[in-house]
Amino acid sequence: MVRNYKWFLGSLLLLVNLFGQVKLSVKTIPKKVNIILDGINIGKSPIINDRITPGIHKFEIAKSGFAPITYDILVNPSQAVHLDFFMNPIYQVKFKTQEKGLVFELNGEHLWDDPFIRLDLEAGDHFLRVFKLNEIIDEQTIHVDEPKKFNYYLKKLISEK
Amino acid sequence: MLKRTFNCFLHIGGILTLIMFMSGCSLLKGPLYPDVIYNNRQPLISVTYEYGEIEVKLPLNYIGVVPEIISFEVYAHGDTANPIISILQEAPRVFFVYLPQGVLDIHSKSNIIKIIPQDKNFRPVTVRFKGIRFGRIALPPKSIQMGQLIVNGKVFLNKNEAPLGGVDVSIQNFDNVIKETTTNDSGFYQLSVPGEYKYAQHLRLVAGNNMIFKPFKQKLDFSQTLKMKYNIGMGPNKAMEDPIYLTNRESVHFREQPDIGSETLFLLGAGEAVSVTRVTPGEYYGSIEIKVDSEKMVQLDGWVNRADVILLDLNNVFKK
Repeated sequence: MVRNYKWFLGSLLLLVNLFGQVKLSVKTIPKKVNIILDGINIGKSPIINDRITPGIHKFEIAKSGFAPITYDILVNPSQAVHLDFFMNPIYQVKFKTQEKGLVFELNGEHLWDDPFIRLDLEAGDHFLRVFKLNEIIDEQTIHVDEPKKFNYYLKKLISEK
Repeated sequence: MLKRTFNCFLHIGGILTLIMFMSGCSLLKGPLYPDVIYNNRQPLISVTYEYGEIEVKLPLNYIGVVPEIISFEVYAHGDTANPIISILQEAPRVFFVYLPQGVLDIHSKSNIIKIIPQDKNFRPVTVRFKGIRFGRIALPPKSIQMGQLIVNGKVFLNKNEAPLGGVDVSIQNFDNVIKETTTNDSGFYQLSVPGEYKYAQHLRLVAGNNMIFKPFKQKLDFSQTLKMKYNIGMGPNKAMEDPIYLTNRESVHFREQPDIGSETLFLLGAGEAVSVTRVTPGEYYGSIEIKVDSEKMVQLDGWVNRADVILLDLNNVFKK
């Protein structure tokens, strides 16, 4: 009798829980990425027919070779919510210069003075600043959309695949 | 000499190979910047919501007459000023309405469907219900009927206009009593019957069945109205002079002359008043009141058998 009662209570709680939730599906490009929802790993993408409660939630998505994504969402009370994440790839770029005594700065924070260096860059635009004797001598935007090799000449950037 | 030169090259080659091994491939590939450089580009994220639908099903029962057109108005969260949806349609047997998810109050019965028949003889009906997030709601059947037909007024004694309490008053269709009541101490009565009798041809108001007077009977016609007022005077009029006698049975002969065989002017029903002016050993001579042209009362003289009447006592006007 007590067992039946527990079973009934459990079923009721499950029903109430399911009733108050929103159906969730998560897809990513690339596939097979671990999805962290509110700090809990809910599995690898694609995720279909999971449940989420209406309200504020945090998704964290990370995969080697792609820029990680952190996304806060206010889930509306609805029947279902479908999320698609397109992860931004990271490409390895070779950066080379023949010029002497130059210091390079990327996106205002990453500095190097090597004449030949390999960089892991998120796809998209990056802001390059060039210093010589602590003075800015050049500024330009470099666009990364594939693995590339950049040859830098003073005030002239030449890229080659 | 050649051998020494070869050994020297071998040593140099060995040293270079050693340097290559020690420095890894970085000599050829260059060093790797230690951090991944992000540009904080907004990732492409697509969020698609799927909203459910609420189907509300309300069966309707029409009692008697069916209105032609009904307006349905749906309100949520107790807000009766702004309907979510208004639908005007022919009177359905089952009313269906489809609402988007999230519009109804799912915690209390503050959602309302107002059913407003487009006929002044019907009164609006309200249905309160508790909502759901999405899915189906099957509401219990609701009855739609015409407004109640009401008749009220006062019952008084014609002779002195005193209110009469305790008088039986009823509404009858043919001879079937639909509703009955008794007047209060002020002589007031009110009766209501379902609207389905609005066009009944044989509806009548009957008062005074428990009195010694002839009962009051009035045909009721509600075809133009839902409410009527009838003040009912019972017993003989003021114009009839004392002594007044009442017939004590049905079919009392009211004759032109006292002698048997003379012409019967009227057959009087029980409880009809005769104002007596002359008396003979077996007969009374007097006048009765009769209604002509439905409203006007005239007095008519004649004779009744003494055994067919009793003297009226206004202090005791109810049947025993």
